[in-house]
Amino acid sequence: MIGIFFRNLFRDLVRQPMRTALTLSGVIWGTFSVVLLLAFGDSLSKAQIKRFHGMGQGIVLVFPSQTTLPWQGFLRGKPVRVTPEMAEDIPDKVPGIELLSPEFVGGRLIRYGRNEFRNTVRGVNPQFELMRNTIAAKGRFIDPEDMAERKRVCFIGDVLATDLFGTEEPVGRSIFIDTVPFTVVGVMRAKLQSSNYNGQRDERCVFMPWTTYASLYGTKFVSNIIFRPRDLGRSKAVMEAIKVHLSKIIGFSPADPDALGVWDTLEFEKQFTTFFLAFTIFLGVIGSFTLLVGGIGVASIMRVVVDERTREIGVKLAVGARRRTILVQFFSESFVIMLLGGLVGFGFSTAVLQATKAFPKGGFTDFIGVPVLNPLVIVSTILILLAIGVVAGMIPARTAASTDPIEALRK
Amino acid sequence: MIELNGITKVYRTGSQSLEALRGISLGIGKGEFVSVMGPSGSGKSTLMNIVGCLDTPTAGEYVLDGENVAGLTFDELAAVRNRKIGFVFQNFNLLPYATAWENVELPMLFDGKNAKKRRERVTELLNAVGLLDWRDHRPTELSGGQQQRIALARALANDPPILLADEPTGNLDSKSGEEIMAILTELWQGGRTIVMVTHNDHIAACSERIIRLFDGQVVA
Repeated sequence: MIGIFFRNLFRDLVRQPMRTALTLSGVIWGTFSVVLLLAFGDSLSKAQIKRFHGMGQGIVLVFPSQTTLPWQGFLRGKPVRVTPEMAEDIPDKVPGIELLSPEFVGGRLIRYGRNEFRNTVRGVNPQFELMRNTIAAKGRFIDPEDMAERKRVCFIGDVLATDLFGTEEPVGRSIFIDTVPFTVVGVMRAKLQSSNYNGQRDERCVFMPWTTYASLYGTKFVSNIIFRPRDLGRSKAVMEAIKVHLSKIIGFSPADPDALGVWDTLEFEKQFTTFFLAFTIFLGVIGSFTLLVGGIGVASIMRVVVDERTREIGVKLAVGARRRTILVQFFSESFVIMLLGGLVGFGFSTAVLQATKAFPKGGFTDFIGVPVLNPLVIVSTILILLAIGVVAGMIPARTAASTDPIEALRK
Repeated sequence: MIELNGITKVYRTGSQSLEALRGISLGIGKGEFVSVMGPSGSGKSTLMNIVGCLDTPTAGEYVLDGENVAGLTFDELAAVRNRKIGFVFQNFNLLPYATAWENVELPMLFDGKNAKKRRERVTELLNAVGLLDWRDHRPTELSGGQQQRIALARALANDPPILLADEPTGNLDSKSGEEIMAILTELWQGGRTIVMVTHNDHIAACSERIIRLFDGQVVA
């Protein structure tokens, strides 16, 4: 019985090979579009989030600014100044902070041999490394001993390392920063960084202990504080507590919206992620429309087929076929076309995705990533395919099943 | 076998209505061979459709083989057609892309008979109409007479007690027509009830009784 069902199905499909092929091509192209667009959107969002993490993961940046509300006798416009000691004291006073570092930023002349550049120098503490993903590829980052002894050591970005040293090994060598010799203790691992603040990207920066920075350059106040909350979901509350704490020490209204400039990358990342999810869905919808057109093609061709085979339907009904039998016959025919087209479309898109892997790393793949067939893409495509397949199959099948046998036999 | 009581059929198209059958009452006994005759528009086809359970009457009672079928749903009627009635049409109505074998097998598929039973029955029927050697041929490769014999074999597939033939010889040359009539006569002698619509007096003469219709009523 099942055998006869499939034999007849196959015979119906190959009876008009050209027509079946054309109908199939619509579905193939539609599936192809859905898969590629979804995979593209997915890889693009992942690549963007990875690049965003290049600046740091789960961090909040605090920029001391000036007051905008009068407070306890002071007019508005009073500068808010934070010392590094004040900053490093915050985790003891405000609970819920995992890592924190004060940060000094300045442009300095950096020289090694005949190579000389004016680059950004950052004075930070060792906790900076994990927050900002300035991981050492060679040597090490600043350590507590460097801090305590105000050592003249520095950690340099990978691009700066190449600019200064070329093919030479940088770790252990001396460079001059504004005529003061420093020992290079480490070189940063290359990373993709899409966002930044205050100065150059990390790849061109010099990092040194803030204790060294403060004593050498006589700077008293940090340009910013950077911290990571223990519970990433509570960044807002922790930030609020820090603000209240600092307002008491420095003297500004805790209600002042702009005394401290805040860049909460966690909040930003939430919006960022939502945006890219919406973007991926948008691409998926565009793909679905293409597939929908394929489905409409199947439905309309099947309407023609039903029309051509009215007599056959009439004969079957006359000799005892139920309406449901006819419904199943035509539905499965449309559905098989959809599934077949979906399968081939999947095959094509997999081949194309395999081919994109051949593109060299770097260049545009840094921006859009490498699209792959991940489970999310597969499941979404299958669901879209099924939904359209069922609708495209049911419309002609219902027409077929509602055939009046008397009219059909008279034709 | 067939009892019609006050069968009325009214077709409505928009505001117009056409009374195709006006209170027809007739009975056909088991094993009878009856011809239905009448001019075009007299209601022959409508009557055959109702008797064949392809259509339902607007009013009246129809008892088929002891079962009142007037109130059945379409799918219930499908089962009745499948098991109790065999159809033979003027234009054969075979499935064009299916082989002779598959055409004969069709009603048994809808009855859910297993492969072994189907194989035995199709072999038996094709043998009976003398076309076993033609089992893999498609209708277009067969002559009109052969096609009608395949159609007859199909009508008998589920061994129904009633055969309904609508101008079975209408599209055939006289020799093939005679062959078909010979088979029908043989089936009648075998105990089957046969109802046949025809224009041809000569063909009608093969039957036991002639029902004449005129303007939706039985006149004789």
